[in-house]
Order: sequence, then C-alpha cells, then structure tokens
Amino acid sequence: MENIISIKDVTYTYPESKVSAINKLSLDIHRNEWLSIVGKNGSGKSTLAKLIDGLIESESGRIIVDGQEVNEQNIWNIRSKIGIVFQNPDHQFVGATVEDDVAFGLENQGMPRDEMVKQVDEALAMVDMQEYKTRDPQSLSGGQKQRVAIAGVLATKPSIIIMDESTSMLDPNGRRTVLNLVKQLRKQQDMTIISITHDIEETELSERIVVLKSGEVVQEADPKSIYNMGSELIKYGLEEPFSNQVASLLRDELKLPKGYLNEEELIQNIWKLSSKM
Amino acid sequence: MNKLILGRYLPGDSIIYRLDPRGKFLITFYFIGIVFLANNVVSYGFLLLFVLFSVYISKINLGFFIKGLRPMLWLILFTVLLQLFFTPSNDPIWHWGIFTLSTDGMRIASYIFIRFVLIIFISTLLTLTTTPIEISDSIESILKPLKVIKFPVTQVALMLSIALRFVPLLIDETTKIMDAQRARGVDFGEGGLMHRIKSFVPILIPLFVSSFSIAYDLAIAMESRGYKDGEGRSKYRVLSWSRRDNIALAVMILITIILLFIRSY
Repeated sequence: MENIISIKDVTYTYPESKVSAINKLSLDIHRNEWLSIVGKNGSGKSTLAKLIDGLIESESGRIIVDGQEVNEQNIWNIRSKIGIVFQNPDHQFVGATVEDDVAFGLENQGMPRDEMVKQVDEALAMVDMQEYKTRDPQSLSGGQKQRVAIAGVLATKPSIIIMDESTSMLDPNGRRTVLNLVKQLRKQQDMTIISITHDIEETELSERIVVLKSGEVVQEADPKSIYNMGSELIKYGLEEPFSNQVASLLRDELKLPKGYLNEEELIQNIWKLSSKM
Repeated sequence: MNKLILGRYLPGDSIIYRLDPRGKFLITFYFIGIVFLANNVVSYGFLLLFVLFSVYISKINLGFFIKGLRPMLWLILFTVLLQLFFTPSNDPIWHWGIFTLSTDGMRIASYIFIRFVLIIFISTLLTLTTTPIEISDSIESILKPLKVIKFPVTQVALMLSIALRFVPLLIDETTKIMDAQRARGVDFGEGGLMHRIKSFVPILIPLFVSSFSIAYDLAIAMESRGYKDGEGRSKYRVLSWSRRDNIALAVMILITIILLFIRSY
C-alpha cells in the first residue's frame, strides 16, 4: 500500500515543558486508510496532528505528506490537502453565519464567488445542513456545529481528514451521525481518515489502531487484535470495549469463545447457548 | 444583558432591510450630521416627521425604539434639565438662586430633547435593520480607500467580524461563569461599591483566560484552513448597490436642501 503520510523519528518538546510530547516517533499512514490514534490525555495525540499539518515545527525527524516534506516552502500546499476538525466546535467558527464559515477555507484559496457558492451548497448538502445556511453558529446544537465544522473542511476537498477528538463533545446520537457521515464520505471521495480519540468504541470503524503513550507508539494493530488484549488495555489508559466487559463477566459460566467479540457476535453466542439449554 | 436593545438586530423584511448596508451606514452618519443644521420649530418638526416616517416604513414596532432610549435616559434628563434651568435670560418666568426658568430655556431644552430622540432613533434603526456582519462589511468597503496609506483594511475587517462573532459566545461564557461563581457563594450586586467591584474579579479573570484560549484555538483552526494574511482572499459575501439605494441618497439630498431652506427662512 502506498503511504500518504510518513513520519520518521520525529521529536517535539513544548517550550514550557521538560518532557518531549512526541519522542522519536515513526509512523506510516496509507492512502485511503482509516487510522485511529488512541492514548491517554497527554500521550501526544493532538501534538502529532499539529505536527502533520505544520502548525508546530518538529525538532528533529522528517514528516512527508503526499510526497512533500513538511517545511516552510511546502506548508500551504500541504495544508490545502489536509483538513482538521478540532475538538471544540465553538472555538473554530470564523464566520458569523453557517455559510460564511463553510466558505472561509475557499475564500483563503481565492476561489471566485460563483464557484464558491456551488461548493458551499454541496458541502452543506453532504452534512445535511442546507436549511441552516443562514443561521448564526451560536444558535445550533453541538452536533450541528460539528457537522458545519466538517462541512467547512469538506468544502476545500482535502485528501486527508484529521479528526482531533472531534466527537468528544457530542452525545452518543450526534457521535454516531458524525461517524457514519465520515465513513460514507471516505468511500465516496477516497479520503484518508485519521481519527484521534480516547474512546475505544469509536475505533471500531477504523482499519488500524495506533496506541500512543508518552509520545511513543506502543501498539499498532487492527481493532480486533487490539481489543483482544482485553484488560491489558488499561495499562495504556484505555477502557475495554463494552462487549468485552460483558463477555469477560459471562465467559466462565457460558463458555464463550476466547478473544474479542463485537456486540453482534456476543448476541449470537448468547442466543446459541440459550437455545441449547 | 438581554434587555440591551442598542446594537441588536431584529430579523425582518421591509424596504429598509433591503437597502445596501453601506448606504444605510453612510446615511445614518450623514443624518446625524444634518440634525445640527436644524434651528427652529419647523426644521425640528420636519426631521422628526422624517424619522418617524422611516420607522413606519421599517415595519418595526415603535416600542423597540423607545426601549433604545432607555440606556441614554439619564444623559438625556441631565442635559435637558441643565438647559432648562441654566439658560441665562433677561425675562425669566421664575428665578431662585442660581436656577432660572425662561421661555428661551424651555425652547432650547425641548430642541435638545428632540435632537437626542432623532439621533438615537436613527441609529437604532440602523442596528435593528442591519446585521452586525453587514455593518462590518460596509465598514470594510468604506475604509477601502485607506489602503493607499497602507492601512490594513482587510485585516481590520476580519478582526471586526471575529469580534462581532464572539460577542454572543462571550456573553454565554460570562453567564456561565457568573452562575458557577454564584453556586460557590459569590454575591453579585450586593454590598458597598468596593465589595461589588471585588465580586467582579472572579468573573473577569476566568473570562480573560477563556478568551485567550478561545483565541488560540481559533488561530490554529484558521491557519489549518489555509488563512495566511488576508491578501489574495476572495469574498463570499457581496454587497449590491441598487436603484433604491440611489433613491435613498436622493432623499437625503432633498432633505438637506429643504432643511437649509427652512433654516434661513
């Protein structure tokens, strides 16, 4: 598989801190992959996102995005390929109305107005927010704000979307809607998704999970193998998926198969057992 | 805080709403200028009629405009009373110590009162019918000539629109902080002056801190969306100047001519 982002031996230390937030980290991200980055607070997840976008500059190492190295000359080129949806929707709105905000990225590219109007409409249609076009962002709910933030990123047609804990402020319903939307868009537009989270349930949709701890990659595998680690996950500050917790409570009594079972598989297993009784 | 009518926008759709905001902005300032041309009963009456007519065609309830007067009430009362009792006259109706009441004083006081009403009504009309963002757009296009002297017009306009966009957010934030501090026993608006001032410290400090953190987050978000320095950007929002804006300007010229005529009459 082709790498869209490759990170080699990158180190970054915040000016006010003694410990490196990112410590000799190397990671390859493939084209069209859905990658989840998980880890405790302060494990360096968000710092990594900022490094990839060139919002902060690494001390050592190299980051290559779509064939271009992240540096002074390439930075705007690279930023036009990456869209980041941040954690707090309230803090990332620039526009006074929904449409203004979605248009912000396009205005920065100097796109002519007729084209912009079309793109903004398209992007809002993708997140199903057309009817809120002229609304003031303050009057929207959290999930709607997040959808507008995503529309703002989609309008610029990036090839990589980084979701930096962008569902952490949503209720379960809003989270599901946003994730399904991203899933669908990835298929349609052939995008690479990097999702940063500390919620293990959210990683189920991804193809690969990278676990960070104190700025280093400590685990890297597909979701099933990560979930198979069971209670060992706690070491990295992660919780076991809910179905795992249920399975481990029932395992001895019901003789469930070993390893990770998702909700559906767990239900099937319990169903089979109860029909045998 | 919700009682403040000054600077608030009321959604609506009348001819005044459909005027170009640049024109409205300039007309409002021009009108405030020509209010000072009025010097007799007829000219003040004429201007008052014009303002009331504008309020009428804006289809906004007069009550909103009267509410707009409220925050200025003390200033109006103070100025009017000062004019009423301290206008020197040879033929006073009533005289006591330093206070003099005369017909001249009464006339000037009522002129001042009408002048206040005119200025406040017309500026309330501007803010009620124009969204803050339209106002900042018009300021940008009015300031555009200043680019010649290297004044950073686009940056100032962006700053202005971000500031406007953050007003409701910061009001929400303030209410939240006040409630949180109240829950912990801070009493706002009680006790002596010093005590009241002190009780605002637990609001102001968190508010400043959160404003800084919002500003940081926003700057990062803007940069990640490709914002460089305001140059080479296109504009999504466009203002369009139409025939009715020309008519509005013509009306203003007509009013000036009539006013100059009445004034010297």
